[in-house]
Amino acid sequence: MNRSKPKLKQIFLVILLVPLLTGCWDSREIESRATVLAIGIDKADPDEEEKEDEISHRKGKIDIPAESLIKLTVQIAIPGRIPLGPQIGGGDRSPVLVVRAVGHTLEDALLNIQQEVASEVFLGHLRLIVLNEEVARDGVDRFTDYLRRNPEIRRTAALVVSKERAAKYMEIKPELERVPSLYLAEMVDSLIELGKFPETFIGMFWSILSSKGQDGYLPYFNIKGKSNIQINGLAYFKGDKMVGKTDPLQIGGFMAGIGAEEGGYGIFVKPPELEQEVLVRAVERKTRVKASLKNGKPHIYLKIRYESEIEEIDSRMPTHIDEDDTKALENEFSKMVKEGLEVLIAKTQEAKSDIFGFGEHFRGKFPDFWSKNVNTKENWQDHYANLTYDIEVITSIRRTGMKAR
Amino acid sequence: MEKTREVTTFQAATILISTMIGVGVLPLPLFAVRSGDTGAPFITVLGIGIGAIALIIITKLGLRHPNKTIISYSEDIIGKWLGKIFSLLVILFFLVLTALAAREFGAVVITAVLLETPLEVTVLVMLLLAAISARNTMNTFVYIHSFYIPIILAPVLIIVALSLKNANFLYLRPFIASDLKDSFNGALTVAALLQGSFLMTLIIPTMKNPKSAVKASLWAIFISGGLYVLIVAATVSIFGTEEIKKLYWPTLELARTTSLPGNILQRLDVVFISVWVIAVFTTIFASYFLTIQSLKEYFNLQDHKMLAYFLLPFIFTLAMVPQNILQLYDIILFIGKVGLIFTFFYPMVLYCWDLIRNKRGSKDESKQA
Repeated sequence: MNRSKPKLKQIFLVILLVPLLTGCWDSREIESRATVLAIGIDKADPDEEEKEDEISHRKGKIDIPAESLIKLTVQIAIPGRIPLGPQIGGGDRSPVLVVRAVGHTLEDALLNIQQEVASEVFLGHLRLIVLNEEVARDGVDRFTDYLRRNPEIRRTAALVVSKERAAKYMEIKPELERVPSLYLAEMVDSLIELGKFPETFIGMFWSILSSKGQDGYLPYFNIKGKSNIQINGLAYFKGDKMVGKTDPLQIGGFMAGIGAEEGGYGIFVKPPELEQEVLVRAVERKTRVKASLKNGKPHIYLKIRYESEIEEIDSRMPTHIDEDDTKALENEFSKMVKEGLEVLIAKTQEAKSDIFGFGEHFRGKFPDFWSKNVNTKENWQDHYANLTYDIEVITSIRRTGMKAR
Repeated sequence: MEKTREVTTFQAATILISTMIGVGVLPLPLFAVRSGDTGAPFITVLGIGIGAIALIIITKLGLRHPNKTIISYSEDIIGKWLGKIFSLLVILFFLVLTALAAREFGAVVITAVLLETPLEVTVLVMLLLAAISARNTMNTFVYIHSFYIPIILAPVLIIVALSLKNANFLYLRPFIASDLKDSFNGALTVAALLQGSFLMTLIIPTMKNPKSAVKASLWAIFISGGLYVLIVAATVSIFGTEEIKKLYWPTLELARTTSLPGNILQRLDVVFISVWVIAVFTTIFASYFLTIQSLKEYFNLQDHKMLAYFLLPFIFTLAMVPQNILQLYDIILFIGKVGLIFTFFYPMVLYCWDLIRNKRGSKDESKQA
């Protein structure tokens, strides 16, 4: 009796341990995962609805109009072909597989893609989502629900708007990197690092989209030549709909407006006192935004301090520059920044798109004004259109490079 | 009943800290923002204030009866039967609290990390772990908590510090919520997340120097409360209030948005989740321990070990009651506020009664019963 007791315990223990042998429910080998690296979203032709198979709904039995049908192009990494470490010249075989599908919503299309791919579609390594301009103009909120719900999506993934069809970006073969989507994602990151674009990632875009006093902005890409991609401006949104784009140069002005520190843009400056065009590049900036109410109307005072450097002087003329000339250059540079910014603000005011987030200043600093007069995003957009502002720019040129005189 | 007085002030504080930091930190910013928009950090401070008062009361009360827990001294104060009834309610409440914490843990794990794993398994594994650990003595209990405390605190602080890179401090303004009633409601919700501190009643009889119990309580509430405020302020300044309202677990999203510099780890949620599992474990462990220790005293048992497994099926069944995450959070918010009756008002009434009774002198004692 006494001896059999521990035995029973041991048997019980063994029985308890057996289920552990089956291992982890969630283990998936890399090979059996279809790792999606990038997604491109285009508008599909309404007649393509016919081509959609009955996977998540019966034909025609869905309350989403055919006009909002989207065409999804995804890049899936092929296991074993993604090179690790330094690249050793080209193999011909592409490391990614491009799959396309149409659907009424993002998940609808992804389900259709899953139906074509043997392994489980895995979005944990998604680095980039390309939105075609047309889709962006129709509104992006319809995609955010799925992306917010899905735990695999990284908030640090990049979201960009493209001039051409997004599908093209999925098929492009850049020379600098074997995996196309990684190249595109790297590009977004390095643009930020170089001061060509303010910090942007999908999570940040969502926060701005949700906030009442600011409208979203995204990088706007287009394709140059066969396989080069250029950042061609900044797409600005009103609510969740894209309403316009800026020139690349205006991105610099925009960054001054929101106070992004890293300066990256250079402009040609030619003050009346000087004969030569001088290329002055912004190195660093500091922006102070002061919100106030003038006679009950919102007013913004922007003070921007620039640190700049002289990068090049048009050498068809004598390139001699002295202390007084830099003063003139500083003033002229400030004037140009100011004018550029004013043009941009006027442009966004026309579109009622407060990408600078001035509304947030009023929401934060004048809660009474806000709750009485504004309260919703739409109301602020109307207020923004009539916003008055003063801009003051102060530039100091600190460096002129290695060349004496 | 062996009475070893070995718990130091520092250890007492660590137990309280690791108990108070638990499942609640994930939805905390959502609760705070829902009731007061940008006033969320302020509401959190308010809630911590309420939690602090509750903790001080239970500590002071414990100090008046330094050899007993609330289960025994409540009988001395308000009489045997009333004391028995309320003690049973308190025990039941912590039983439910344990179950709900385990269920909330399971819900987060199956939605955010292990999508294929059955909910029952995650909940059962966590409860089993707590049950096995709860068989240990008070001493081991103390050591487990002190051992884990740096692992719980450090990564959270690191994540908050790193995430501030993308912070927009305008999102924090205006600092004070406009609606007083909602703010108070939110503060109660936050205070409900701190109810683990009730454990202090169990610690005082084992403290080496019970006099310093108040000091330990204050430090504990200061550190865990500070962490709460930090988390709320960081999430609000990064996501903004409107975005937080769309997220179940803003704190988890914070970890997902944060990356270590130099692309070492592109998202920190893996680190955070593993830390958080430990934090949840210490919390569930603590309330489990509190439940069975109280039960032991309630029935005047010699040993608490067998109770650990005996309760397991009941807690597990309770944990499985909510049908889905929406219902789960309704229940959690409701039970949390109801719990304040037991962890805040009940000790307060006891304390006042105790004071009055002592003033009147012991001759009236029989009438009170």
